[in-house]
Amino acid sequence: MYELDLLLITIGGILLIIGALCDLIGAIGMNRFPNFFVRLHAATVGAIGGAFYPLIGTALIAFGSEFLGIYKWFVGGSALVAAFLILMLAPAGSHALARAAHKSKASVVEPKVADHLEEDGGVK
Amino acid sequence: MTLIDIESQVRTLILLVIPLFIIAYTLYIVRILKGPTLPDRVLAVDALAFDLVVFLVVLGIYFKSPILPVTGVVLALWTYAFDIFIAKYLERREMGE
Repeated sequence: MYELDLLLITIGGILLIIGALCDLIGAIGMNRFPNFFVRLHAATVGAIGGAFYPLIGTALIAFGSEFLGIYKWFVGGSALVAAFLILMLAPAGSHALARAAHKSKASVVEPKVADHLEEDGGVK
Repeated sequence: MTLIDIESQVRTLILLVIPLFIIAYTLYIVRILKGPTLPDRVLAVDALAFDLVVFLVVLGIYFKSPILPVTGVVLALWTYAFDIFIAKYLERREMGE
């Protein structure tokens, strides 16, 4: 089983490093983008690229770590559950927040090509 | 053939990754403190909490503790509830009851 553990840890480590870099890129974008609707892009990079990928990676690392003993199934299983929840909930939450911000006019739609939501008189 | 020690490899990898996470959290906290409007702050808290879940799982592997990742699941659910609460507050000017 040693080769399988090494394979799992290698794949998981690559995913974890990709996720940490995506996290850093999302944080930099969150500080440099001009307004709310542009920052949604950075937040989604930080949520899916920065949380979903490294959670899958840490689950694989935990499944390959014999030194955790029986706890490796706890750690890996809860990491997989959290990854599934983030994959489902992060886009839904961002979308609800964007819709609410557009409706309450909390932020301006600055680089605007076409705003069909405003032309239709806003959301009901 | 010399066997690689998996535990030291994993610990080295985690120690390599943790500074990147710390820098990202600092930048998110700057946006939370600075953000001009309420949705900006909520969006930064959102991304920060989802990344904190990853940090909890990583610390759970490092400290060999099975409790820390389980709290991460609760944190992810709480963040979604927070988003929906703030969205409802912005639309209707009331907290959902």
